[in-house]
Amino acid sequence: MKTLNFCNHGLHICKEGVLFWLEKEIAIVSDLHLEKGSSYASSGQYIPPYDSEETLLKLLDILNKYKVRKVILLGDTFHDKDAFLRMTSKVRFLFEDFTKKYEVIFILGNHENKIKIEGIKFHQEYIVDNIHFLHEAIQKKINQISGHFHPVASIKVSSKKITSKCLIHSNNHIILPSFGEFTGGLNINDPVLRPFISENYNIYFLTKKSIYKFSNKEIESQY
Amino acid sequence: MSENLKLQPIQNWLKKNNWFFYDHQLETLNQSINGHDILLIAPTGGGKTLAGFLPSLHDLINNKFPVNKLHTLYISPLKALTIDVHRNLTNPIEDQKLDIRVETRTGDTSNYKKTRQKEVPPHMLMTTPESLALLLADTQAKEYFKFLRYLIIDEIHSLVNSKRGDLLSLNLSRLNNISPYCKRIGLSATIKNKKSTLNFLSQKKNSKIINIREKSSPKIEILETENRVPWSGHMAGYAITDIYKKIKLSSMTILFVNTRAQAELVFNKLWQENENNLKIAIHHGSLQKEIRRKVENLMSLGKLDCVVATSSLDLGIDWGKVDLVVQIGSPKGIARFLQRIGRSNHRFDEPSKALLVPSNRFEYLECISTIASIKANLLDEVKEKEGSLDVLAQHILGVACSNPFQVDDFFLEIKKAWPFRNLKKQIFLDVLEFVRNGGYSLKHYEQYAKIGINKNNFYAIKNKNIRNRYRLNVGTIVESYMLKVKLGNRTLGQVEEWFIEGLNEGDTFLFSGRVLEYQSITNNNIIVRSTNSAHPKIPSYAGGRLPLTSELSFQVRKLISKKEYWKHFPNQISDWLKLQNKFSGLPSVEGLLVETFPRHIKNKKRYFLICYTFEGRNANQTLGFLISKKMQRMGYKPISFVATDYALAIWSMIEVEDINVILNEDIMLDDLYEWLEETPLLKKNFRDAAIISGLIERTIPGRKKTGKQVMFSSDLIFNVLKKHEPNHILLQVARNDSYRGLIDLDRLGDFLKRIKNNIIHKRLDRISPLAVPLVLEINRQTIDKSEVDEYFLEELENEILTEVGLN
Repeated sequence: MKTLNFCNHGLHICKEGVLFWLEKEIAIVSDLHLEKGSSYASSGQYIPPYDSEETLLKLLDILNKYKVRKVILLGDTFHDKDAFLRMTSKVRFLFEDFTKKYEVIFILGNHENKIKIEGIKFHQEYIVDNIHFLHEAIQKKINQISGHFHPVASIKVSSKKITSKCLIHSNNHIILPSFGEFTGGLNINDPVLRPFISENYNIYFLTKKSIYKFSNKEIESQY
Repeated sequence: MSENLKLQPIQNWLKKNNWFFYDHQLETLNQSINGHDILLIAPTGGGKTLAGFLPSLHDLINNKFPVNKLHTLYISPLKALTIDVHRNLTNPIEDQKLDIRVETRTGDTSNYKKTRQKEVPPHMLMTTPESLALLLADTQAKEYFKFLRYLIIDEIHSLVNSKRGDLLSLNLSRLNNISPYCKRIGLSATIKNKKSTLNFLSQKKNSKIINIREKSSPKIEILETENRVPWSGHMAGYAITDIYKKIKLSSMTILFVNTRAQAELVFNKLWQENENNLKIAIHHGSLQKEIRRKVENLMSLGKLDCVVATSSLDLGIDWGKVDLVVQIGSPKGIARFLQRIGRSNHRFDEPSKALLVPSNRFEYLECISTIASIKANLLDEVKEKEGSLDVLAQHILGVACSNPFQVDDFFLEIKKAWPFRNLKKQIFLDVLEFVRNGGYSLKHYEQYAKIGINKNNFYAIKNKNIRNRYRLNVGTIVESYMLKVKLGNRTLGQVEEWFIEGLNEGDTFLFSGRVLEYQSITNNNIIVRSTNSAHPKIPSYAGGRLPLTSELSFQVRKLISKKEYWKHFPNQISDWLKLQNKFSGLPSVEGLLVETFPRHIKNKKRYFLICYTFEGRNANQTLGFLISKKMQRMGYKPISFVATDYALAIWSMIEVEDINVILNEDIMLDDLYEWLEETPLLKKNFRDAAIISGLIERTIPGRKKTGKQVMFSSDLIFNVLKKHEPNHILLQVARNDSYRGLIDLDRLGDFLKRIKNNIIHKRLDRISPLAVPLVLEINRQTIDKSEVDEYFLEELENEILTEVGLN
């Protein structure tokens, strides 16, 4: 875990990409993309169906380690509107376990257009203490924590490039990496991301073993 | 010529050109007329291709055949070869005004022509294994091939025991069902595994091998030089001036090297020597197709003096005017070198001429062994390979695209493909389910199955879209993702993505014979500009580094261990071995020589352990890992290791006491599995298998996936499958390919058996002469721009030589 100061609150990020606001017993996580694997079957690509199980087990395992009461899911929890229906009974059991144990806030993601699941309410945004929880960042001067972009960064280590998920922290913006097992990434240098990152920012680079913090200067010197 | 053969037009044409039939051509014809399937094994040149076509020509000239039906199918591993053979065959046909239509069909053929070929087939069609697979996946395939009388497979030796061969053999079995009376002729270079190659071609009882020995054995020499042969290195810089002299004396030279990086460097150095302005060109797999075609064209017109080439020019095409083949660096295998020598004097009965240029001292020994092996008619053994399941998966979908099948009949047909003769029914059924719906037994997946089962238990694809997608994914060659190199508006060629990842803006590298400066990547193009920089970084491609074959390795050990051979060596080599003998000992043929000695690296005392295995780079690499793991457990604190084709060097902080405790057969069991699961090779092989089998698509209609996307998702799938279905078909394929491929497990196993109780351990107080090249290799890896500046090494070499007392 590494601590970051956001709007005078101490938040913690773990290497798997879950953000904790321990003072409030809140965990924040983004882009689970449940049932992404099985979504390809309709196009004749039989990607293995085990990603949801992996994602949920990993999440439950991490949450278990801390005192958490509420979990905010920043959208694209489900890969598509039928994802819930495709879950195997084992996965559904895990999912129910998760929603029973925690107060789960679902933010609506762009993948969840027209989604309807009994007993689940999707929010456009959710606000705690003047911090806005959104799926996609907006160009407004509000304190916001969002997901959507699946940010990754490439760091050069002795002529080898290591690419990994990262959290972007820029002033009053945090963009969380995707958590889902089968999710890809968008490089932080991609022009699409630029409008949402101010001139000075830090990234928290998440690897299998640890978390590394880099400033934008350190990132830019790489290119 | 025997009486019953009527080949007047062909004979007329030969006569016109002052040519005549070779005996083996007529024998092939006679045997084929008598109903035999034939494997013709002959050295390059000598009219092998004509021999293959004679039976078919004879039939078309003398017998009635329905118009607009396919009579002869010719399959070659290279597109370029189909075009070349097409040209050679059209000559006599047009000259004698024969009513025989010959056409080619490859990935480059226009859609218009393809459609016409389907409606109105030529008599003879020249194609590749991939295009054949596509033709057979057509709904009209049965009608199309029904009248087929002859099937010719060229360069068949390069197809057997490969995934391409697996695909071809499955389709051969299919053809056998469609046109059972079609006769087959396989054309092969000289090979060791004759029987299995024949079985691959045809399992008919009366199939036959016609084996033609080279009339005159090739004249091979090792370059004589005044200069010192270096202890290590791969660039043969010392020899460039001498090579240039030889090029001047010949009318056309092909200069073969082993890697693309070598090609670029040698080409560059030759031009620095080129005071006579000879026309010297370069040819390798990364260069743009148009550039390669241009070079090939100039070659066939005889307008070049020399071409520097990699294996891209190894196969088949007839370069009539080449009269010298130069091989820089050891050819690493006997068969490979014979194939390359065959590029010279393609047409005549004179002996081929070849010049070997070893780039270091070990290679000198290899080159001597290669020549001795060729004289003694020794050939490399190729390990037979079972048919790959990812290829089977691709084939199953292809057949389902063509027409509905029943499981039992289809299984029998597959078993008749030679590489799949041992296939178990249950495994076949598993692969079938994998193709149908992924094989996860989930309702959701079955709902979208590609292949459905009808009431009568026939399997068929569910819609036309599946056929279209199959067509885009056919083939067994998975290329790494390539980026175009752009100089202004010109595309020079392509390089692998990972190569560019190692470059920084402003870095320079050799490519297409120029020194280029890397500027940026825009829209998947690498933008470069020309520069005069004298110290380019080099594209160092992983591919192309071929390991020493077992046969050659055995010959080299024999050569070193028998002093009576040494008198034929140049002094610098025999002196080196004599010193080694005095100072330490010589590696034996069956046993293993191990040396240990202390040496300082950056002022710190380290202990070196050297194993002279001669088992090739890949096996040594694997062994290096296993030994260092074991040393770690035993507390010797190993630091690192270096593996070459000949030996393995490991250095540690604590001296190894008893080598027998470390090097035993158990070493394979202890850490191997764990290592294999972690190696990037396994992931790469998994990705290839996922693409070949169709789990991941190469392209989606209307949208091309980039290489990176495929790479990314295949790694994720790999991890998930490993956990949830550790015995998944594709994981099996990836493991088998890795065992067989770079890791060379079989070879390592044989090695450990061989050296059991036969290890000689020499404890030395300093480095031995034989170890010098290895230690240089170690330092080389820590020196920047190592491959380019051999000058650095000279300095270092002198230092070490003084240390050993050789200077």
